[in-house]
Amino acid sequence: MCDHCLKHGTAGKWYLNAKLYSEELAKELDLKEFMLEQYKTFEAMQVRNFGGFSAVGMGYKMQLPIISRIVKYTAEKMLHTEKPSRNPFKAEGHIGQVVPLDDAIAILETCVPEDSLIMKYCMCRYMHKGEKEACCINFGIMSEIIDKLPRFIPEPEDSKYRLTKEEAIEKFTEFNKKGYIGTIWYGAYPYINNLCACQTPMCAGFRPRTEFGIKSIFKAEYVVENNPNNCQGCKKCITMCQFGAIDFDEKAKRALIDQSKCYGCGNCLLACRFEALNLVARKEIPALAGNY
Amino acid sequence: MGKIKIKIDYSICGDGNKIDPRDCTICLKVCDPAIFLLHQSIKYQKEDDPYDPKIWRVTPVYPSLCILCMKCVEQCPENAIKIRN
Repeated sequence: MCDHCLKHGTAGKWYLNAKLYSEELAKELDLKEFMLEQYKTFEAMQVRNFGGFSAVGMGYKMQLPIISRIVKYTAEKMLHTEKPSRNPFKAEGHIGQVVPLDDAIAILETCVPEDSLIMKYCMCRYMHKGEKEACCINFGIMSEIIDKLPRFIPEPEDSKYRLTKEEAIEKFTEFNKKGYIGTIWYGAYPYINNLCACQTPMCAGFRPRTEFGIKSIFKAEYVVENNPNNCQGCKKCITMCQFGAIDFDEKAKRALIDQSKCYGCGNCLLACRFEALNLVARKEIPALAGNY
Repeated sequence: MGKIKIKIDYSICGDGNKIDPRDCTICLKVCDPAIFLLHQSIKYQKEDDPYDPKIWRVTPVYPSLCILCMKCVEQCPENAIKIRN
């Protein structure tokens, strides 16, 4: 548990605090205008210059010895900012965390305001892969402004776009079974407004972290643990892991988990038929505690 | 290995010219590391419909992740992509 959760969370987790989802908070911060402005050209965010840098050619910038540190510092400062002054063209305060299925269901059941659940096309998949897939669950202000942003509204054959809580939970479970990673995001700190089902390498939230080591997303509060007595060596979990955290031990015929690589999304659990995998709290493992 | 340079000819594709990248998206789909970015042309933003912009372009945003498979170069119907290593 880090300072952030102590400050904002209930039950030790920032995303289980219903206050951060409330309409009052959004009104107080006047986020409606801000988000409309931001989502108007959301896809262009990565090519804009800020503080002298844009994400274009990021890999080469990160190979330079001093500049890479400046880029990393500037990017993390922008993403982790808690300041109220905002520029809608920057991803200021747009930070998220991986959530396993159980926590996502808890969010949908207890925290999300009533009648404001919507499903929209994933921007990341569209801007990086040209694919339109309805798999982002949004709530709160987004449900009010979505009508102005027609390119995010799913076609009727893809998905219904206003959802009830039960439908949202059902959809989210479906995504998890497909192998998508649940992530919860600050719309702009401290207001939470979307629950995504992400996939690498398209996800613009994961990519800076997996490829360039910039903390654009936090790992979950959990890590996966393997029970060697139950593992039958079917290798099903290995294909589910998007981070290469699961390996196979040919001699012992069981899965080996590299917990330092594990993001704690819990998708491998859904693939396991023998109840060999389970999630344990990250803070209980001394070497990983605080390593979000 | 030197820097990989990916050039897209915007006089053919994007920026409201011959091809609208949103109708094509072949280069985006064939790219396994997903290094391209489909986005609104910032230059034309003001004259455009702000909530549903019509002028888009493709930018190779992470050339360092390119694996030089050349699928995008081969499959681009207008030969608008050039890669130099």
